[in-house]
Amino acid sequence: MSENFNIDDVSNLASIELSEDEKAKLQKDLQIILEHVEALKNVDIKDEKIDIHPLSKVLELRKDESKESLKHEDAMMNSPETKDGHFVVPPSIE
Amino acid sequence: MNLKATIGMETHVELDTESKMFCSCEVIESEEPNISVCPTCLGLPGALPVPNKTAIEYIVMLSLGTNCNITNEGMFHRKNYFYPDLPKNYQISQFDFPVGINGSLEIVLDEELHSVEIERVHMEEDTGKSVHEGSGRIDSAISTLLDFNRSGIPLVEVVTKPVISTSKMAVAYIEELRQLVIELGISKGKLEKGNLRFDANISVADENSNELGTKVEIKNMNSLKSLEKAIDYEIMRQSKQVEKGESVIQETRHWDENKQVTISMRTKEGSADYRYFSDPDLPNMIIDQEFIKNSKKKIQNLPTDKRKTLKESGLSLSDSNYLDKGEKWLYDLYLSTVENTKDSKSTFNFLTGELQGQMRKAEIDKLPEWVDSEKLANLINLFETNEVSFTSAKDILAKLLGEDIDPKSYASEKNLIQSSDDEEIRALVTSVVKDNQDIVERLEDPDDKLVGFLVGQVMKSSEIKVNPGTVKEVLLKELFG
Amino acid sequence: MFQNKEMKPSELFEQVYETASYTESVLHAHLELFYDEGLKLSKESDRRYIKSESLGLLDGIPIAIKDNINIYGYKTTCSSKMLSNYVSPYDATVISSLKKAGIIFTGKTNLDEFAMGSSTENSAYGPTKNPWNPDYVPGGSSGGSAAVVSAGSAVASLGSDTGGSIRQPASFCGVVGFKPTYGTVSRYGLIAFASSLDQIGPITNTVDDTRIIFNEIQGYDSKDATSITPEYLKLDNKKVKVGILKEFMQEGVSEESQNEVNKVVSLLQEKGHEVTEISLPLTEMALSVYYLIAPAECSANLSRFDGVRFGIREAASTSYEMMNKTRSVGFGEEVKKRILLGTYALSAGYFDEYYGRALKVRSKIISDFKDAFEKVDFILSPTTPTPAFAFGEKTKNPLEMYLSDLCTIPANLAGLPAISIPTGLSKNALPLSVQIMGKPCSDYSVIDFAESIEEMVEFNYSANLLEENNES
Repeated sequence: MSENFNIDDVSNLASIELSEDEKAKLQKDLQIILEHVEALKNVDIKDEKIDIHPLSKVLELRKDESKESLKHEDAMMNSPETKDGHFVVPPSIE
Repeated sequence: MNLKATIGMETHVELDTESKMFCSCEVIESEEPNISVCPTCLGLPGALPVPNKTAIEYIVMLSLGTNCNITNEGMFHRKNYFYPDLPKNYQISQFDFPVGINGSLEIVLDEELHSVEIERVHMEEDTGKSVHEGSGRIDSAISTLLDFNRSGIPLVEVVTKPVISTSKMAVAYIEELRQLVIELGISKGKLEKGNLRFDANISVADENSNELGTKVEIKNMNSLKSLEKAIDYEIMRQSKQVEKGESVIQETRHWDENKQVTISMRTKEGSADYRYFSDPDLPNMIIDQEFIKNSKKKIQNLPTDKRKTLKESGLSLSDSNYLDKGEKWLYDLYLSTVENTKDSKSTFNFLTGELQGQMRKAEIDKLPEWVDSEKLANLINLFETNEVSFTSAKDILAKLLGEDIDPKSYASEKNLIQSSDDEEIRALVTSVVKDNQDIVERLEDPDDKLVGFLVGQVMKSSEIKVNPGTVKEVLLKELFG
Repeated sequence: MFQNKEMKPSELFEQVYETASYTESVLHAHLELFYDEGLKLSKESDRRYIKSESLGLLDGIPIAIKDNINIYGYKTTCSSKMLSNYVSPYDATVISSLKKAGIIFTGKTNLDEFAMGSSTENSAYGPTKNPWNPDYVPGGSSGGSAAVVSAGSAVASLGSDTGGSIRQPASFCGVVGFKPTYGTVSRYGLIAFASSLDQIGPITNTVDDTRIIFNEIQGYDSKDATSITPEYLKLDNKKVKVGILKEFMQEGVSEESQNEVNKVVSLLQEKGHEVTEISLPLTEMALSVYYLIAPAECSANLSRFDGVRFGIREAASTSYEMMNKTRSVGFGEEVKKRILLGTYALSAGYFDEYYGRALKVRSKIISDFKDAFEKVDFILSPTTPTPAFAFGEKTKNPLEMYLSDLCTIPANLAGLPAISIPTGLSKNALPLSVQIMGKPCSDYSVIDFAESIEEMVEFNYSANLLEENNES
């Protein structure tokens, strides 16, 4: 495993706040997993083409037609906070 | 040390499709929030994206219009970053296989053609809209309101190479791109509606250096005026720093319209790692020759072709550029009118000056159905051949915009036809010369201002029904032989 | 059963509900039971049968749904605190299909949070117990869906399978579990764990029930871009070639599990089928590939759980802080672990080393399977390396837990259909199973072949819990 693994950087990228205890436990578990996957380095992979779909299906495009959307009430029914038909969150600018 | 600026533009073009990029929600313009949203564009758990075929056709058209190579087998990527108006906290975009690569766009700047190299043209989806609530100042928001009607609207991002050197060139590039997307019919192209939004990457370096300076990105502008001012300001700001020997910080800034400065946007630490990876919800996308052929068929008239046609009609590059960037009806009207007139420049001037001016004044944005290129050509020919005065021509035009008249019959009817009969004019001239002997004596040469006065006197005595050109000719002959 | 009027749908529903009322207190397999709605719908079904207007074989059949599949108007929690209050405003495509067929939903079943786990110990609402012995795990992540079928509190259930999440719990609970070919069943409305691996499938008592339910939920869906228009291969199952995967018949797989395969091999040979050993060395890399691809995909799939538009929300003074805190409180440890692992595997400088490499090895595994299926019709292996394990037995080291999916993961990586059927009992009286993998789109052939094995092995045991309660 890379010595550069920094749990703070990764949790910051993933937007998950971690307690010190969690960091220690997760760091240890991730270490075990990353060591295990090191084995992949021994596989010869050059020239391997990547298909996103396991059956190599090719993307089908949708006709540009509008259909009925969610009812406004249904769209908002899970919103933790609402105002004038908007979702409300704490400020996203400082 | 002489400094030079290098600018690269990234422009988001909102496509004019019926439904969104990855779901069937209608693309709407509405003040009412969250009424055209579904599980997919709201990022609800379990919802999946399915791409819009028309959007892919449009991006292929734009790629062809910017002379790009089309990537035949591409894919979509997820661009990961957390932001409240990005519902999935990743944007579906394209990374190493954009639809179009290595193209160019021809632009007009200071009567010259330039080519701006295009690096890539790729497909992505728009975010929702954030409205910051608070005391009205941007830095004191108490909460943010989110509307996802815009979320998922198809966007094409067009990225230039760092080849632009001035703010004027950047503006000319955006104008050209805007014209192109309107001409292709793939976007409404309205800047004020944010149909085109642009970021400018600016750096300053010694003009003898082959290396670029540290780049600063000015994000999210949608007005040409702001773009021009922001670039000028930023070049000045960076130049001062470089001259002082300070280093420019690589950062994202935004243009503050009120303060007329660029301001650093505080960004989250380390947020630049977007962790692009191919979207497993969207299999590989094949754009084959058949698809490209069908998209090509939909392209009718590119701005560069239009400019060529206009130049061939005899217009200068800047006049051509004006018509080509203007509304389509005016371009069409010019081309059909100029076929029946003698002078392209005066036709251009009459249509873009008089006609557009009067229409603006009368607050009409469409020509009445009886006003066709034939009538306008007749009218232009009337004053071009001095049959009516320019003043009369303006009056006739005003009348014509109000009711269906034939310009020539109307001119005769209203006695507006100027006499070119030399006998009649000579009599008038003789009488005026006789009545103004004091002035005639003071005349020194044919260019004297007083000649104009005498011509005016002749016109007056004829009640402006004679051709002033002929009057002057006769008068000068009479006085100077 | 309803056609010849042995029983009315509402009677069956009451019976299933009656079972649930005493099994649930021990098993905790359902997170929510839809009694009122279920009874109402089953009575409507009664009337259809009386008027001979039944909607088909499944009309009135009570089925449980894993709680990561959206049903309009009901909670979908994914066994996460994050979604403890989330009510779905839409139906998953499989739910629409089942509603049209007249299916009655008994309720939503427990799972490892966001389908990440192999024991249901990761459920934020407490684990499900194994109906064969409540000291043992039912497997996971579809542990609730396997337990309800095994205990009789639903006739069948839907689960989802990303690395074995249908087959492994089905094996631990002694029932049939089927993961269809990738793309044959729409994922629209299934809360994604790893999009390129996830597949919905049935868990049932018999292979025939699996066939009936699969038939109802399969088919192209325009709402899922990975959905395919399947052209099913039809094999003549009278004489088939079966490959025994060498890599799953060695150290790392218990003797008990290997013996089940050997037992089935003898039965197949008796019937004149050809059995050969095959080797796919890269399947030993499958676990590593899986534990990079699945976390990478999940790290992005689970980004949408941020407290902005739905779910729980933690108070904070900025949006970013709110998201950080909400995700900290809303996700359990295993989910965080996988998100962090995936985030790391995708991050700048590590992409090629981890995720990029894993994708390429996956692609090699896919072509290896393609080659293998040139030689054999089906691949036979144990479903799991061991029978069900006890609670807490594998929670110390993540790899130990992950290894219980050793034999099931390859089918997900290659998109293959794979079924698990019970064949015998372990020395601890816990069920053991074998797995049959087939070529892509050979789903019905795999089912037919599994049915013939089902007849040969005559697995006639049922969960102890049920028997004990029936005796009482």
